[in-house]
Formats: sequence, C-alpha cells, structure tokens
Amino acid sequence: MNKISHPIEPEELMAYLDGELTANRATATAAHLGECAECQSVVAGFRGVSQNLKTWKAELAESEMPQAIATALAESRPESREVSPAHRRSWREVLGQHWAILAWAGAVAAVLLVMFGTVRLPGGDANRAFTSVASQMGDSGSDRDRIPLRESTGPTSAGKPAETVLLIAPEEKEAATGHDLVSNGPMIIRSAQLSLITKEFDKARANLEAILKRHRGYVGELKAGGGTGSGRALTATLRVPADQLDATLTEVKTLGRVESESQSGQDVTSQYVDLQARLANARNTEQRLTDLLRHRTGKLSDVLEVEKELDRVRGEIEQMEAERKNMSNQVSYATLNATIAEDYKAQLQVVPPSTSTRLSNAAIEGYRSMADGVVSLALFLLSNGPSLLLWGVVLFFPARLVWKKVRSSFAA
Amino acid sequence: MLEFQCGSHPAFEQLFARYRGPLYGFFRRRLNGDQRAEDLTQETFVAVIRASARYEPRALVRTYLYSIAMNLLAAERRKQFRDSPPGELAPEPVTNHAPDAALWIRQALERLDDSEREILMLREYEQLSYAEIAELMKLSVNTVRSRLFRSRMALKGYLEPTQKVSHAVTAGDEKESVKLARAEGEAI
Repeated sequence: MNKISHPIEPEELMAYLDGELTANRATATAAHLGECAECQSVVAGFRGVSQNLKTWKAELAESEMPQAIATALAESRPESREVSPAHRRSWREVLGQHWAILAWAGAVAAVLLVMFGTVRLPGGDANRAFTSVASQMGDSGSDRDRIPLRESTGPTSAGKPAETVLLIAPEEKEAATGHDLVSNGPMIIRSAQLSLITKEFDKARANLEAILKRHRGYVGELKAGGGTGSGRALTATLRVPADQLDATLTEVKTLGRVESESQSGQDVTSQYVDLQARLANARNTEQRLTDLLRHRTGKLSDVLEVEKELDRVRGEIEQMEAERKNMSNQVSYATLNATIAEDYKAQLQVVPPSTSTRLSNAAIEGYRSMADGVVSLALFLLSNGPSLLLWGVVLFFPARLVWKKVRSSFAA
Repeated sequence: MLEFQCGSHPAFEQLFARYRGPLYGFFRRRLNGDQRAEDLTQETFVAVIRASARYEPRALVRTYLYSIAMNLLAAERRKQFRDSPPGELAPEPVTNHAPDAALWIRQALERLDDSEREILMLREYEQLSYAEIAELMKLSVNTVRSRLFRSRMALKGYLEPTQKVSHAVTAGDEKESVKLARAEGEAI
C-alpha cells in the first residue's frame, strides 16, 4: 500500500461519501473508487457504520403544536415583546450558572477601566474629551476650575495646539458626544440671560465678538440701535459650547455693569432616550418592510400598500432624526441672551450751524420748492387738462353769444 | 425565519413542522426520558420565538436551531450533574423496531470520546455538514473531519469486533489500520 497505488486518503473517501469534497477531488475519488477494490471496501465500511447507526431511531408522534409554544407565539407580537416571567427565570438560571465567569469578567473590566482611566486622564485628548462630556452633563460648578487647565494644556505631540481637538463642526461634536451623554449622565439644555450697561458701547461690542470667537461660539441673532435722547443698545442671542458657557459669562460680565443675570437648565435625558428608542423601532420597521419588499411577492395592491407604509415610516425617521439632532445641538451649545445698553449722557451744549451751512441749506430748500412747484403744475395739467379743454370747447360758443349780446346791448 | 421575524405565524408553523422531529431526536438520543426531550424541544422553539427580534441571518436556520438546542442541552446536563448522582446520566435506548441494535449502537457510541461522539452524531443523525458542525462545536473544519474519521473508524471497530481491521483500530491509528488493510489486499 502506497500513495502511488492509493492516491486518495481514507479520510477523503469518507468526505467523498459525505459530499464534502470539491468537484475536482470528488471526480478523482470516484474514478479511483471505480478501479480500487480496497478503497471500495473502506467505503463500504463507512456505509455500514452509517446504516448501523440509523437503526437507533428516535421518532416523535405527530401532534398539535404544544400549548407553551402557541402561547409564546401569541405573545410574540413585534410591538409587545416583553420578557415573560418564565424567560426571566431562565435568565436567572443562566446567571446563576455562570456567576463565577461573570464575576471574573466584571473584575477584569473594572481593573482595565481603572488602569486606562488612570493612565489616560493626565493626557491631552482623553482628558479633554472627558472634560467636555462632564461639563455638558451640567456640572457648571466645576467649569471655572477647568478653564485654567485648558489654557495651561500645552501643544500636542504633533506640534499643534491641543485646542484644535475641539474645533470640530457642531454636528460632528454631537455625533461624538450625544450617545455618550445619554449613557454617562443627564442631558441638560443650558441657557443664561445677562443684561449690561456700558460706557463704551463700541468697544464693548468689539470685545463681545472677540469673546465669542475665543470660546468658539456664534451669533444666533443680533439687533443694535438707539434713538435721540437715549443711548444705543444691543440685544444678541449667542450660542456657545455648553462647557464654555460659564467662562463666556465671566468674560462678558467684564464688558460693563451687570444689571441682571439668570441661568437655567432643562433636563431632556428622558426625552432623548425616548426619541432614540422610537427611532430604533422605526428603523427596525423600515428594515422589515424593506425585507418584505425584497423577499416577498404578492399582489400589486399589497406591494403598493407596503411601499406606502415604508414612505410613512421613512418620513417619521427623518423627522425624529432631525429632532434628535436639534436636541443634541441644544445640549451641546448653550444659549446666552445678552443685552448691552449704552450709559446715556445728555448733550448740554448744542453748537448752532454756521452761516454758510444755513445759506447752503436755504439754497437747497429754494431749489427744492421750485422743483416741487413745477412738478406739481405739470401733474395738475396732466391730470385735469383734458377735462378743462373739453369744458372750454363746450362753453366757448354760448359764452361768445352771450358776450356779443351784452356788447350789442351796451352799444345800443 | 426572516418571515417569522416579520410577524408571519405560518412561517413559524412551517419551521416547527420541519424541525420538531429532528430536534426531538437530537435531545432524545442524548438525554434520559422521553418527556424531558419533548420539553427541551418545546423550549428550543420558545427560545426561537423570544429571540426572533434579535435574529440575524448569519448562518443557516438549521445551525441556529441546533446552536440553541446545544445550549439547552448543556444547561440540562449541568442541571442533571448537580441534581443526580453519577451513573444515572446515560440515555436509555429508544427504538421502535430493533431494541437490540439500538442498545448495541448506544453502547458502541458511549465508548467514543465525548467530542468525537458529538461530531459523529451531528453528522449521522442531524445530517449537518462539516462546516455547520465546525460552527456549532467552535472547531475548524479540518478538525471536524479528522475527528469524524477517527470516530467512524473506531465505531466500525466496536461494531465489528471479529474483523481483523476493526481490532487494529484504536483512537490514534485509524489511518494506519486502513493502510494495513489495503496492504493486505495488495499482498493477496
């Protein structure tokens, strides 16, 4: 017995019987089996084993679907997949059986968490991300403490300032932190109102823009104006990153005398979680409907019905997605309503205009009145001329007749 | 399965009708008691229903069902190990036609290594492919093939004790025994 006379290994003969060989190898094996009696006997041995095994039968009599399965099936409506007591019990059993593994895994996870947390916290980016998340959780009291830390953070190893890490678009920031916020703590929409009076209005306005730029905020709305007898005023709705709100407020207060100040925070964690759950459900529904369309065939009316439902679900998804983004944006960016008024001082010494100015004004006034007169006359003639002409023609001959009679009577 | 995931109960009924018997056989050949096998078959389907929302079509439905069944079987065996004294764990032979043959087969199977017996039974009774067995047993396909070969050769020896080839078969030298048989054939 050698490999030349038996190019097929016994294991391959078995795989051939099981239909597990590639087409080429199966062809070669079949060809060899046709001419090799020894291999045929090996194959017969395998077949004999299989036939012997088949004598051990375990058949179940046909019967109806058991009640337990029917009940579980009835409870398995997609919208109400709640965990039944029996299922909870089985989880308890599973947890009980694997308590040692679970405890070990938990301990390892805790050690890793502590290790990585301790090692990475003093660094730049990880610490910054952690600080950003923590501050967005509404921990306003510690923001002032964090400002010096940010400013003292040196350049990164790449030579770029560490601040560039946070210079990302609001949408990216939301994507990076929105889900973490929900998993790590409450989501707070922060807002503040500040009213100032300043003696140097122009300087205060320029400084306000500089502060906004420094804290990576932007102007949501801005109105500036002022009237005679009062100072100028500026009303602005500013949006600043939530973790920068306290620092921004501190700097804005230096622009003048604070008349009033207020802060508020709205916890939207439950709304956000609810929105995410509804969004996930809608996406699941969309996936199922898409699968239905892809894999099922049916009447055209059914297909159209599914298409219609799919459109509705997609519309809901887009609406909820926009709502979620808006909420994340509101959490990520706090709103600061600032009012800056000028400290008004009445002008006691009014300087009269000069003679040349008065002559110039008089000349301009004269020219303006002459032009106005010409224009008024032209307008009068254009609007009333046709009527006057008509009445003139109509009254000319009677008037002439009367005039002649009067002249003749006087002459007589 | 995907249809059932979308809420089609007839799809589940079809699944149930197709796999109820094979799953019952799976449990019955591995456990004591007809009723317990039937209960575990039911539990398998109940688990399928409850986990249908999380089902992802990464493998064949058959593989998915047997993976659930194997988990339930492992849990049942652990439970039996805790509750029962040793020696009462072997399943009773179940047969409708030839009890002697079934007993003979069962005793021969019991002499196999646990892993090899499981692979052999999954192949012979559940008709799973090598790849499916490899996925269920968390083994490579080549390992499954070699163990299946070993178990078949060993079982052949146990079932045919009078043949010379079978006597030569042990758990470690099956290939050599076949080669020996071939050599004898060539010499003749």
